[in-house]
Amino acid sequence: MSLILRLASRNLFQDRLRFVATIIGIVFSIVLVTVQLGLFLGFQKMVTTMIDHAPADLWIVSRGTKCFEDPSMLDRRDQTKALSVPGVVDAVPLLIGFTEWAVPNDGSTPVFVVGTSPEGLRPWHVVQGNPADLSDAHAVAVDQTYFGRLGVSALGDTTTIRGHKVIVKAVTRGIRSFTTTPYVFAPMESAQTYIGVSRNDVSYLLVRLSQGANANAVREALAKKLDKVEVLTTDEFRNRSRTFWLFGTGAGFALFGGALLGAIVGTVIIAQTLYSSTKDHLTEFATLRAIGSSSFYIHKVIITQALLSAVIGFGVAFLIDLAVLRFTMDSALPIVITPILTLGLFVLTVIMCVASAASAIVQVTRIDPARVFRQ
Amino acid sequence: MSKPVIEAVDIVKRLGRGAAEVQALRGVSLELAPGELTLLMGPSGSGKTTLLSVLGCMLTPSSGTVRVRGESTANAGHAKLARLRRDHVGFIFQSYHLVPTLSALDNVRLALDVRGRYGKPAIAKALDGLAMVGLSHKKNAFPQDMSGGEQQRVAIARAIVGNPSVILADEPTGALDTENGQAVMTVLANIAKDPAHGVLVVTHDPRVRAFANRIIHIEDGRIVDEERGAAGLVAAAE
Repeated sequence: MSLILRLASRNLFQDRLRFVATIIGIVFSIVLVTVQLGLFLGFQKMVTTMIDHAPADLWIVSRGTKCFEDPSMLDRRDQTKALSVPGVVDAVPLLIGFTEWAVPNDGSTPVFVVGTSPEGLRPWHVVQGNPADLSDAHAVAVDQTYFGRLGVSALGDTTTIRGHKVIVKAVTRGIRSFTTTPYVFAPMESAQTYIGVSRNDVSYLLVRLSQGANANAVREALAKKLDKVEVLTTDEFRNRSRTFWLFGTGAGFALFGGALLGAIVGTVIIAQTLYSSTKDHLTEFATLRAIGSSSFYIHKVIITQALLSAVIGFGVAFLIDLAVLRFTMDSALPIVITPILTLGLFVLTVIMCVASAASAIVQVTRIDPARVFRQ
Repeated sequence: MSKPVIEAVDIVKRLGRGAAEVQALRGVSLELAPGELTLLMGPSGSGKTTLLSVLGCMLTPSSGTVRVRGESTANAGHAKLARLRRDHVGFIFQSYHLVPTLSALDNVRLALDVRGRYGKPAIAKALDGLAMVGLSHKKNAFPQDMSGGEQQRVAIARAIVGNPSVILADEPTGALDTENGQAVMTVLANIAKDPAHGVLVVTHDPRVRAFANRIIHIEDGRIVDEERGAAGLVAAAE
């Protein structure tokens, strides 16, 4: 083991209480940052979950649409116009909107209806029933997470939406809404009835292109052909939705703010403990200077101490993060931890710890080696 | 006579500022020769430690010249002073100043590590240093498990292992009983017999006079007397 590593580790572990305080500081900070950024990623994923699962190369949306949940409507007759554009194989209508679900024997609850068709957005992660049964006018698909809210518990349960009978024909798992309002998949015409719009009203047209079609050219042609609409790629619509929910509403700033606060608190705690550790070892550092060590050598000892703290603190924080990940997996807003986030957090931990070493480094840089004669 | 390892000419050192300013050294000139053990004696506040700091490149003089192996410390910054100490000076302190969390061997290795000497050769050299002060058997002991005399001998090994031109010792026997003090001075006297090293010992302790080649007396920041020590007289007689 290198002598610098040995000296740094012994300095670090000598005062157990301070070492534990340092590690708690790092763990607290990193777990807080992870939860905030994990929530951010989870939120980011949830707000685009419908867009991600829709079979579309291009989206025809009302001009000015801010997000997937936007209530603006298109004229369904645009479907025919869109189909006349060369390169368009299909333009499938999709309808969304809020309505009231009658909870058996318990009033009603708002739901978010998604009007589907066999070629359009279908429920996924189906764990009971068959999505093909959604062609039945009364059929609906709901997520099992919302059974309690909806007052149903199994396939075949019935209730009403705005006075119209519905039967649970398919059950999904994990299709959750960040708005906490349950998604209910229903056939297109039935959905129009439930939401209370005309047969000509649809929210989106999902455009599928023929093989080899030039997406940009088709997009331009669609934009020319259709009035009061925008034609977006899936990526563009996804980004627009994310931007609206994360930054238009301030939710993203709140999550980032929390993460930043966590990083600052962690840095201050580590800086404080490193500073006090360095202060306790000033005579040793002065001795090192007296025997001719360069400032860089002493800085290496302090930075090694900081890096050791970073590695140990990150290791403990990572284990806690895994537990949090597991704990929130089935919650309304599960946190998401990706390999890139993990790597980023490790880099952040190292940066925090090394930055924290700055105050200690300034302190040892000012040491007068002659102080060893006075002690 | 061989070239001096350290040469000080008309050194003045002022400490503090304004009303608190003190002239700790008032025109000190001396040379330290290799192969000699020199004692610097004087009452408290006479400037011994300040002179040691200036000669050991920890402080630069307010005026006058210090040359270490011919290299002047004039206008030297922290980095140059550190290099001069690293290349030419070994220190021994009254309070030993061993790193308490490192073993005796690692404390000696530290002096090599700061000189960029690592690995097995450094360990072998550190073991030689411990052997020279008779502490091979204590290589894995930590400072708190050693007597004061043993700790001071480890500090001597740390000072000598980098092969400095001069060893500067500040009251090396100040915290030791007679037996341990004699043992430490014997080691220092043996080091001084090597013409590669000069040794300067700052002391109050009259018992160490017997080990000296030269004795310099300092009072009020001035050298007031210089005499041959017992070892010097023996050497002269030989």
